[in-house]
Amino acid sequence: MVIAAATIAAPEIDYAGLAPLFATAGGSIVVLLTGLVRGRLVQRVIVPLLSAVVLLAAIGLAVWNWQPGDAKPIVEGALAIDTLAFGMAILFYVAGLCAILLSLRESAVGSVGAGEYFALMLASISGMTVLAGAESLVTLFVGLELLSIPLYVLCAGRLRRATSLESGLKYLIVGSVGSATLLYGLALLYGATGTTDFGEIAAAAGKGSIATDSLFLAGTALAAAGLAFKASVAPFHQWTPDVYEGAPTPITALMAVATKAAAFAIIVRFFDQALIAIRGDWAPALAALALTTIVVGNVGAIGQSSLKRMLAWSGVAQAGYLLAGVVVGTRLGLQATAFYLAAYLAMNMAAFAVVSARERVSEHGDRIDSLEGLGRASPWLAWAMTIAMLALAGFPATAGFIGKLYLIDAAVAGGYQWLGVAIVVGSMVSLAYYLRVVAVIWMGPGDLAPAPATVARAHPATGGSAQADAAAQPETVAVALLAAAATVFFGIVPAPLFDAARDVGSSLAGLG
Amino acid sequence: MSAGSYGWLVLAFPLGGALLIALGWRLLPGRSAGWIASGAIFGSFLSAIGALFALLEREPEARAVTSTWFSYAQTAGLSVDMGLLIDPLSVFMALVVSGVSLLIHIYSVAYMASDRGYARYFAYLNLFVFSMLLLVLAGNLILLTVGWAFVGAASYLLISFWYRRKTATAAGMKAFVINVIGDVGLVIATFLLFSETGAVDYAGVFDGAAKVFEPGDTTLVIACLLLLVGAFAKSAQLPLHTWLPDAMEGPTPVSALIHAATMVTAGVYLIARTHPLFELAPTAADVAAIVGTLTLLFAATVALVATDLKRIIAYSTISQIGYMVLGVSAFAYSAGLFHLMTHAFFKALLFMAAGSVIAAMAGRQSIDAMGGLRVAMPLTFATFTAGALALAGAPLTSGFFSKDEVIAATLDRGGLYTVLAIGAYVGALLTALYAFRIVFRVFLGEPVVEARSLARGQLAPSRHENPATGEQEDTDVGFPGPEHHIAERERSMAAPMGALALLALLAGLLGVPAVTHVVDRFLEPTFADSQYIDQTPSDGAAYLGLAIGGALSLVGIAAAYLLYVRRPALPLVLRARFARTHRLLSSRWYFDELFDRLLVRPTVAAGRFGNAVVERFLVQGALVDGTSAVVRAGSSAARAAQTGQVRAYAFLLILGVSALVLYFLSGSV
Amino acid sequence: MTVHLSVVIFLPLAAALIALILPRRLTAPLVFSATLGVLGYAIALIADFDAASGALQYVTDAAWISELGVRYSLGVDGLNLFLIALTALLWVVATFAASLRTWERPRLFFFHLALAETAVLGAFCAQDLILFVVFFDLMLVPFYFLIGCWGDGQRVYATTKFVIYTLVGSLLMLAGAVAIGVLSEAPDLPAAAQALAGVSAPGGSRLSFSLADLQARTLPAGTQQWIFLLFAAAFLVKAPAFPFHGWMPDAYRATPLPVLVLLSAVLSKVGVYGFLRVVLPILPEASLHFQDLMLVIAVVSIIYGSVLAFSQDEARLVVGYSSIAQLGFITLGIFSLDPKGAQGAVMQMVTHGLVTAALFLIIAALALRAGGSESLARWGGTALRAPVLATLFLIVALATLAMPGSPNFVGELLILFGTFEDKLVYGIVASVGVVLAAVYTIRLFQRAMHNRVAPDVESRDLSLGELATLAPLVAVIVGLGAYPQLVLKRSEQATTARVEQASKLAHRTARTAAFNIDRRW
Repeated sequence: MVIAAATIAAPEIDYAGLAPLFATAGGSIVVLLTGLVRGRLVQRVIVPLLSAVVLLAAIGLAVWNWQPGDAKPIVEGALAIDTLAFGMAILFYVAGLCAILLSLRESAVGSVGAGEYFALMLASISGMTVLAGAESLVTLFVGLELLSIPLYVLCAGRLRRATSLESGLKYLIVGSVGSATLLYGLALLYGATGTTDFGEIAAAAGKGSIATDSLFLAGTALAAAGLAFKASVAPFHQWTPDVYEGAPTPITALMAVATKAAAFAIIVRFFDQALIAIRGDWAPALAALALTTIVVGNVGAIGQSSLKRMLAWSGVAQAGYLLAGVVVGTRLGLQATAFYLAAYLAMNMAAFAVVSARERVSEHGDRIDSLEGLGRASPWLAWAMTIAMLALAGFPATAGFIGKLYLIDAAVAGGYQWLGVAIVVGSMVSLAYYLRVVAVIWMGPGDLAPAPATVARAHPATGGSAQADAAAQPETVAVALLAAAATVFFGIVPAPLFDAARDVGSSLAGLG
Repeated sequence: MSAGSYGWLVLAFPLGGALLIALGWRLLPGRSAGWIASGAIFGSFLSAIGALFALLEREPEARAVTSTWFSYAQTAGLSVDMGLLIDPLSVFMALVVSGVSLLIHIYSVAYMASDRGYARYFAYLNLFVFSMLLLVLAGNLILLTVGWAFVGAASYLLISFWYRRKTATAAGMKAFVINVIGDVGLVIATFLLFSETGAVDYAGVFDGAAKVFEPGDTTLVIACLLLLVGAFAKSAQLPLHTWLPDAMEGPTPVSALIHAATMVTAGVYLIARTHPLFELAPTAADVAAIVGTLTLLFAATVALVATDLKRIIAYSTISQIGYMVLGVSAFAYSAGLFHLMTHAFFKALLFMAAGSVIAAMAGRQSIDAMGGLRVAMPLTFATFTAGALALAGAPLTSGFFSKDEVIAATLDRGGLYTVLAIGAYVGALLTALYAFRIVFRVFLGEPVVEARSLARGQLAPSRHENPATGEQEDTDVGFPGPEHHIAERERSMAAPMGALALLALLAGLLGVPAVTHVVDRFLEPTFADSQYIDQTPSDGAAYLGLAIGGALSLVGIAAAYLLYVRRPALPLVLRARFARTHRLLSSRWYFDELFDRLLVRPTVAAGRFGNAVVERFLVQGALVDGTSAVVRAGSSAARAAQTGQVRAYAFLLILGVSALVLYFLSGSV
Repeated sequence: MTVHLSVVIFLPLAAALIALILPRRLTAPLVFSATLGVLGYAIALIADFDAASGALQYVTDAAWISELGVRYSLGVDGLNLFLIALTALLWVVATFAASLRTWERPRLFFFHLALAETAVLGAFCAQDLILFVVFFDLMLVPFYFLIGCWGDGQRVYATTKFVIYTLVGSLLMLAGAVAIGVLSEAPDLPAAAQALAGVSAPGGSRLSFSLADLQARTLPAGTQQWIFLLFAAAFLVKAPAFPFHGWMPDAYRATPLPVLVLLSAVLSKVGVYGFLRVVLPILPEASLHFQDLMLVIAVVSIIYGSVLAFSQDEARLVVGYSSIAQLGFITLGIFSLDPKGAQGAVMQMVTHGLVTAALFLIIAALALRAGGSESLARWGGTALRAPVLATLFLIVALATLAMPGSPNFVGELLILFGTFEDKLVYGIVASVGVVLAAVYTIRLFQRAMHNRVAPDVESRDLSLGELATLAPLVAVIVGLGAYPQLVLKRSEQATTARVEQASKLAHRTARTAAFNIDRRW
């Protein structure tokens, strides 16, 4: 009787809020199935097109759900559908679109199989979406794994290349260690607080007793380390250069931009929401991490001959800058972080687009020499790369400058003047390697005589000269130019990004 | 027309002339550039006379006219006008300057006729006269400084006029730099006066000084000493005299005009102009007097042994300016300025005659190579002797009255000044000696080749070599032209020399003690405020002074006659006897070496040090390479950690995690 | 006058952008006419400028990054009026000189040239601290390319060094700027609380970087001091001052001469200008606190620069090191914290710009006559068949050594007077620099024009093109020499206002109305 009477109350679910997630997750399945159909047309056109449509739809849904202010989490408080989640989600989707465009001529697509390739990409993006919205320890871990596992596969995508396989393996091993650390930390937190819900954890942390509970603190430490992995924060960054170098460039681009954004989304949520009460404990630690990351990343990037490795190191450094926005634990900091993530997307996409364009036509692969004489050979790519580099270095009239300005402002306002100065000093060092690239493009010995025509390696659809090659991959050039244009545009008219950042900032109620 | 507008005219003429020649130099045929320049100076001279009469019309106490054109620099409490001060002193100077300049211009018309840089020469010369007149007419210290520097620049240009000569360019450099040192002294002095009195125009400064300072105030003394630095640099007084002998590298008329008659006496003018300050700071005046005396003795001794004709006269100039400085510092202003005027006459004359001689010698300047020119060049001989007599202060010549007025006034001050006066008398003796050493060695004695051929009516063949170094001349430019011009053949050289000869002999009559007082009467209004204005020596004292002076000069001349005509062997004996002294004198007391060791070499060494050490090791090494080295080291370290070995990563990872955990746990306990 | 300042600032850039799509032969004329337009406007500005008021004129003020309180605000006052004019004039000259040569990829070259003018004008006009920083950094981009792509010798090394050096400075300045903006509001609240207060205000208007506001606000002395050091680093590197001039020799060697004219004559002024525009008004206490440090740097720069200037063999470096000395003088004047000194500094900025530009044009002409060599050892005796060149060079040289009667003298005189006022010793040491200036300038002049003709020198007078570039500069130099009041009258108000606060402090601490001799000696 009683038992019969007892019914399991199905959780209240807001499908509208989940729509983007459904779109990407569902989309990946559809793409996978479509991919089963053999035939050049399907493989080359339909599948990518379909994936692009999925992402566009997801963007639309996210915008449709856009609702500034502190939104109540859904799915029994497992998933947030606030502007932070959607804002980040939009970044993932845009990055995904770019990655798809860059992948059109990617050899990995052939070897993995278009269906699998794009499906995995979409799956990973769904994982990011989950992660960005995670409101409980469980969701957090699920999202993280859903994000990572497809990437492990994709990194190994260039089956013919040893480095690619190695990178995949490395990513798998190190990544699993990271996940393990994280999981252990989460377990400890659960043990300490008896809840997995961020809100309740925050409430528990608010009580002084727990703030000194060593179980709780150890959990925090381990969780921090685990998240640091994904954000490639030093000293948990070592996998980054190897993996970035080995992975297919479009995937590298996706990881560099989207994964980092996702990682920071959850870091912000985890520390600025769940653990804001004990900011006094974690802020110094994160500050120290930020400093280490800035230093390590910047000095590491110097003297790298592989562009992808260089960008990986610079990515590490940038992670350090971003962390400064989290450390201060203020709404301003959150806004700055969000703003910088967006700028970061534009700058890096431009760079990676150019790299993938060049590595297909130059016998130097992704080595920096592949850019020699680019200013003469294909000015469009040259300008895109130049703008990207100057923006990453923080030159004015680029989004990078304003982003840094915003972060420094947040740091100084948050009482971390020295962190602001650290960002500045980091940028100084970074000049050494960013300007080197620009110099090679415009001032190398090659800029007086046109660069020698290089043999087509990667793809038959390439012409004889570098110029022809550049022309032969319009989508890559387009990505590069659009990203560069965005970089400059938001550098001069940053207001739209600022509004978005403010909305994102409004999502976490707990912040001062 | 008012005195003020005459003043502007005085400036306008030479400036106009300079511009006209500078712009039209391509179009000016033959000697026309020279005549244009001379005409400009003549206009300037007339305007000066106009100013003179305009002043004389006014009441004596109203004879200081200021005329402002526009505000030159007025900001932050400093106010400098583009304005002139027309008073007896400035008009007196303007007359002397423009008058002598006129004669020297006319002389140059012929003398420089065959020089490649004929038009350039006269453009410079007019520019110089403009600058000099600006200096004496300037109504405030800043404008004075401007004129002060302009004359320096013009002098530089004319010293290195033959700019293909290393010696000429080097001399120009030296002169310019020493003059800049003087300018700096002037500027600092100007500041001190400005910061105390809040003014830079003469009236403002003097009135202010009278209010602010009591006699002997430290700041004022320092200011005056700084003024003296300027004065000494310009007037070649110890120890800033070394540039003047080298300045003889310039064409001889330039030496006559700039380095004898006008520019070098600017220091004397400056002291006279700022006499109210010096009277408030007697210490500074004493310093000036002492330096003046030392200079006149030092220069006279060097002139005794020097062998380069022009350099002997140059040292005599240094020595004579010593007298003037002594005079004005002894507050015998009109005496000092009177000597300034007479000196301008006879020294210009001496240089002109020397120029004629050098031309006859085809550019040679060593008196050892000369002799017996009397027959061949009677006019030159006569005029030179007239100049030499005046220089020696032979009785009744201009030098006789002016110099001895100075000494008498000095003697009259008593105390320290008695010693100085004695020194001055010794100087007078030496002066007579070296003056006639030249006359006898150059004009008397056995005629040299050039003299004989000239007597036969043919000029010596021109030697294209630098008289100083003997190095071959660059024949494009840089030597006084293929054919030389001597007074005997050029009327436009003879005329000015004749005029100056008369002035040299007779100008003294303007200031015969107790008889004529033209100069000091005229200058009186300027110095009316001086507390020493009435302290002129009694006529008796004056005449006693004249007597002593005359006697000494005659003794000197006699000695010269004995040494260089009757017993020509004797000088050699003496030289052998006093070898060390002779070396000391003939190497000019080692002043040049001193400066070389003290200033030039250290600076050069510092430059080398800067290039070799500071730039390489500090600026480049430490700051640039050092920083980048640190960064590179870091990057290589980072890459070393990046082995690609998973176990290495795992190690660092454990490290990182445990560090974090430890940190957080430390927070709990 | 109602012309919008932004129009003038961006006119060259616009022209260059248009030129990018037009045929090559039109590029130079188009950019040149744009620079002419700017010059015309600058002249009109001088004529129309109201000398009586020290306030900003022709103000533009619009929100730019409201979230960060950064405003797009421009304005002209006596301080930057003549620097704008100088920029305009020199860009006309340099562009013309550049158009006389043929360049690899001309469109790109002139694009960068024009972009540079826009950036410099912007930096001079900016009245918002961040906007100033933006233009200040933006300046580097075109010069980075101009040196790196069109330079000679180790161009890439030189340009990288130059940009890193300068950007290191200006990034520090950026940090300092943000710190000023954030910390200069209510100094009693803790920083975090400020941020809180900030967000509550809409549009993030908690911040302001407008120089006027910042001047009104106050900063604790301690904060001022570390911020001051950041700014000083930026400006001293830019100047350059000893020992921050490491980039100078290489950059000067590598830079093509028309560009070097701008690099040396205009860019060097932006730094010292920053001291007057930003540092003294906003950080008066710190300026006073570090006065002696800055004076020492200035004096050392003067002496060191002069000594090295006359021991160089490369003509460019003679001018380069002399600039170090001259900028030392300007710094000296600024940190005398005395109105006279500041006035002199402004005057000297303009005149030094003029003479340096002229000198580099002359060096270009001389090199042309000496078989392309710029080594003094291989020069000599050029004067004979080039009287016009010789005369112009002489005038420029005399101005360079600040001969009385030249505009430079007026500047130097005021600087020295300002320095003597409280810091006599520094002034006297600096005076040694005046003498040394005579030495190295006359040396340069003689080595080039006088003495025997060097073997591969074939002397000929200025071509019309060379004359057209040189004559205007010399004319302006002579004109200002005769009537410096033109500048002084217009700049007095604004300049004295800049140093007012600092000098008040200085005099409150040091000087009493009655003159005190002991303090001097």
